[in-house]
Amino acid sequence: MIQGLLHSSLLLWTPLVLAALGGLLHRVSGVVNIGLEGQMLGGALIGAIVSQQGWFLGTLAAGATGGLLGLLMSLCITRLGANEIIAGLGFTIVISGLIGYLLRSVFDVSGTLRVNGLDPLPEILGMDPLFWLAIVLIPAITWALRHTAAGLRLRATGDGFDAAGALGLPVNRIRDTAGVLAGVLAGMAGAHLVLGQVGLFNEDMVAGRGFIALAAFYFGRSRPWATALACLLFAVFDAGQARLQTEGVPAQLIQTLPYVVVVVVLTATAVRDSRGKARRAG
Amino acid sequence: MTIRLGAREVSRAFGAVRANSRVTLSVAAGTVHAVVGENGAGKTTLMRILYGLDQPDSGTVVIDSTPVRLRGPADGIARGIGLVQQELAMIRSLSLLENLVLGSEPRKGLRIDWTEARKSADELASTAGVEVPWDCLAADVSVSVRQQVEILRALRRGADVLILDEPTAALAPAQVTELLRLLRGLRDAGRTVVFISHKLDEVLAVADVITVLRHGEVVDTRPATGFSRDELVTSVVGEHVGSGEFPSSAEIGDPVLAVDDLAGISLTVHSGEIVGIAGVAGNGQEELVERIVGLRPAPGRISLSGKDISGFSVARRRAAGLGYVSGDRHTEGLALDASLTDNTIAGTHRTLGNFGWLSPARVRSQVERILTGYSVRHGKTSAPVRTLSGGNQQRLIIGRELDRKPPLLVAAGPTRGVDVLGESYIHTRLRELRDHGSGILLVSEQLDELLSLSDRVIVLHRGEVAGEVPGGPESRAAVGDLMLGRRP
Amino acid sequence: MTEIRLQVKPVLRAVVPFVIALVLGGFVLLATGHNPFDFYQLLVREAFGGTDRIASTLSSATPLLFTGLATAIAFRAGVFNVGVEGGFIMGGLVTATVAAKMPGPLAIPVAMLAGAAAGVAVSAVPGWLKARWNVDEVVTTLMFNFVVTGLTGWLVTSFLQARGVANSATPLIPQPNWLPDLLPPYALTSGVLIGLILTGGYAAWIRLSMLGYELRQTGLNARFAAAQGINTSRVIIVSMLLSGAIAGLGGATHALGIVHRFVDGFSPGYGFTGIAVALIGRNSAIGVVVGAILFGALASAGTTAQLFSDIPLDIVDVLSGTVMIFAVIRLWRQR
Repeated sequence: MIQGLLHSSLLLWTPLVLAALGGLLHRVSGVVNIGLEGQMLGGALIGAIVSQQGWFLGTLAAGATGGLLGLLMSLCITRLGANEIIAGLGFTIVISGLIGYLLRSVFDVSGTLRVNGLDPLPEILGMDPLFWLAIVLIPAITWALRHTAAGLRLRATGDGFDAAGALGLPVNRIRDTAGVLAGVLAGMAGAHLVLGQVGLFNEDMVAGRGFIALAAFYFGRSRPWATALACLLFAVFDAGQARLQTEGVPAQLIQTLPYVVVVVVLTATAVRDSRGKARRAG
Repeated sequence: MTIRLGAREVSRAFGAVRANSRVTLSVAAGTVHAVVGENGAGKTTLMRILYGLDQPDSGTVVIDSTPVRLRGPADGIARGIGLVQQELAMIRSLSLLENLVLGSEPRKGLRIDWTEARKSADELASTAGVEVPWDCLAADVSVSVRQQVEILRALRRGADVLILDEPTAALAPAQVTELLRLLRGLRDAGRTVVFISHKLDEVLAVADVITVLRHGEVVDTRPATGFSRDELVTSVVGEHVGSGEFPSSAEIGDPVLAVDDLAGISLTVHSGEIVGIAGVAGNGQEELVERIVGLRPAPGRISLSGKDISGFSVARRRAAGLGYVSGDRHTEGLALDASLTDNTIAGTHRTLGNFGWLSPARVRSQVERILTGYSVRHGKTSAPVRTLSGGNQQRLIIGRELDRKPPLLVAAGPTRGVDVLGESYIHTRLRELRDHGSGILLVSEQLDELLSLSDRVIVLHRGEVAGEVPGGPESRAAVGDLMLGRRP
Repeated sequence: MTEIRLQVKPVLRAVVPFVIALVLGGFVLLATGHNPFDFYQLLVREAFGGTDRIASTLSSATPLLFTGLATAIAFRAGVFNVGVEGGFIMGGLVTATVAAKMPGPLAIPVAMLAGAAAGVAVSAVPGWLKARWNVDEVVTTLMFNFVVTGLTGWLVTSFLQARGVANSATPLIPQPNWLPDLLPPYALTSGVLIGLILTGGYAAWIRLSMLGYELRQTGLNARFAAAQGINTSRVIIVSMLLSGAIAGLGGATHALGIVHRFVDGFSPGYGFTGIAVALIGRNSAIGVVVGAILFGALASAGTTAQLFSDIPLDIVDVLSGTVMIFAVIRLWRQR
């Protein structure tokens, strides 16, 4: 029972943490990525279709799709001066609209696409490869942000955009790169939903996970380990839903928990910041 | 002579404002070349162009006697140009060491070689004769240290031409001396320094060649030895401005402002009196102003014309008779995208109508009175205030605040970025307000302005009152000492 | 010359995103074997070709008028409220519940007021948090949308669920409590009038009232406003409360006029389209009206076009999402 809960939690955790780590990288470069939801959905569809050639290619294609969508979104933000929040919401609307359109007009299905020969993710040591990818990425990103030139430049761009630009760093390109990485990870997260969990594609299958990922890196204050732990917390709630429900706690309320938590965390952070400022000033 | 760095017929305009107009400049290798001029003479624009941060509308940058196009700072850096900006390009959340290596990190495989970074940082610092706390965050150290790191950073990246934009603006006199020594050392080691300033004594002390900019044009270039101080002043200002003028207050009355232990500061301003606040930037002036105006909460008592206003909001302090000219015109003094009308009625808008609705007629008459009365040259009053020149923007602010004849005016840098004529106009209006019986608290970084306007000058050092001297040019040395925290 | 440019710029700013959207949508249609020109012609005909079509467009524009206005009023104060969706939904649920239970002539106004209050309840917390602690309102309002969706979803399947109805819906509002139709037999309710009156009120209030003046200055430069004695915290809260109230009223008119109850999925993203409406309209009253009609036209024409061609309604999302993305881009290189 407990083991089942653990396993299903980790299964739900994988796509969350992949997308959240992507959003975290983008956040460190100074952009709040609201488009993860759409990028996950795009990755899920392409991943499902290409997995006819094998799960590996499917996952790669999902990552490429997410990366392409992330690049387009980032270009709108960095080169055309679009507002990041609006661009993120807009891309999510366009992508889900486009996918709905393609499902109905090209695939002739309404909402759910069963892909013949869909190749689910294999198991390695009891878990799927994307789970292990996430496990590797958490320390890797932590280390890279501190100890590589790319990490230092990414932090510099996020914290001092103009100053970094004046030093000759290609700040827009750095942000675009972070946007692409976020897209790639979100796309792979989408692939995990379809190849690692459900086994078919549905236009509503992402169901707000992109926004929960957003909640997670806010909760984790852009630190990889804390973000991953936040994802785990949300995943456990999600997995425990069925059980809590039998004890009288309704599912809809449990699902709102990540969002409430984010508001609480943001408030606590803001209160602490303003207290700190007052102390320094006084 | 080979020109290490220069400009040929460079012009650059921002909207209607011509920042640079056919500027030609030649800096020889191994010299300290000063570019001087009043605020707004176009010095900063020229330097940004020379570094590649901005591109000229016409004309070219010259490097090693060859015309070049710099598409961005990376191009400038690649050609050995380094810029130390007025607003320092430091990333506050990174350590000084991280700031130093950012953009040209020593690597070992994938990772940054921190040992190597540390070693080269210490070497650089010792050759320059400075000590740097490398592990501190940039946010936690003084401007002077940040500036040193920035110079070291430029050197580390192989810059042999250093452009310094107003490097002494935020430094105490002793730090200035140290900086000038560092610059001379760099020159003697064969580097080229372009030094921008409007502080003529510093320029005469350190420069080999001086170029004077006025209204975006080069009006003179000579070896420093060819200038006497007076000649240089005339050249910069364009017309002789009497510096001995010092009409002091006619009649000093009751206190209008009494500040009692406000975060450690106590002071009084009487009616009919201008009290100057001097100090090196960042020694508590900004905080003091914000606390008096009500923008920053603070322990302690403030009373205005005998009435305790400590707990009052900004609005109630204004209603009680406080006027405020902000030191930061673009972000606090004006809403640049709002109309002239909206900017002019700000603060008094609640008096211009009934039942929560503005009366268009009363708004119009107040706006006309202020814009005409303070000679603001303007087009439509519905146009955004951004379309006015800097001097006219400042006149609008002065008009808005002085129109009400506030018993107390807090004026921070009231002539910052204003040309010479505008400056003397504003000074006249401030004296008028004083003679009318108001008290003025004047905060300025320009010592000349403080000394010529103030009846008394209070000097702040590290957030505390270091001392007080009478106004007038003869107090200059005493103020200088107090600014450093020394007793005169 | 500058005179002309000042006139042309705002129009171009509003038109260019639509052109980009139509071109991109055109490629999608072409790639899937449809003729975009035929489809766009059909859209225009279905949106404006006849009284019934215009009535239907206005009807679809009505919720967007409310959400666009609610968004605009917050944006104008510099508060980036993306939580209008939540206020709309909450307003709908509360109004539907009150109107279903309450008899008598006062039912409509009371139910609408309750809806407005519900909208206020949703926007008050993020507004207060922003004003008091400077908590980033973008994230909190976005999160509140999901919280409200969950909360209403739970209420409508538990306490407020109608008896005997298959799933997730409140009881039907009795017909006397419906908003009267404007143009019988067409389904255009008087809700559109309420929206237009509110928009007109906004136009006058923002230009001529003292609080409106303070709101504009706070939005343009909050530090400037504070230094001139404007209580920016109060302005932020007022703008959020008004925004929430208008969002709630939007949900109320939608419940009383169109749906006549609250169901799960009550709003197909009206709040989010409202952001696009406000952006296209540059937060001005006229802009919001024009933006609401354009997006309303897309929605209503898209629905019927789906019947006459085999082009799925989803293309409308592609178009309006694209408009949203490009609504705020720099069209001119600023130097």
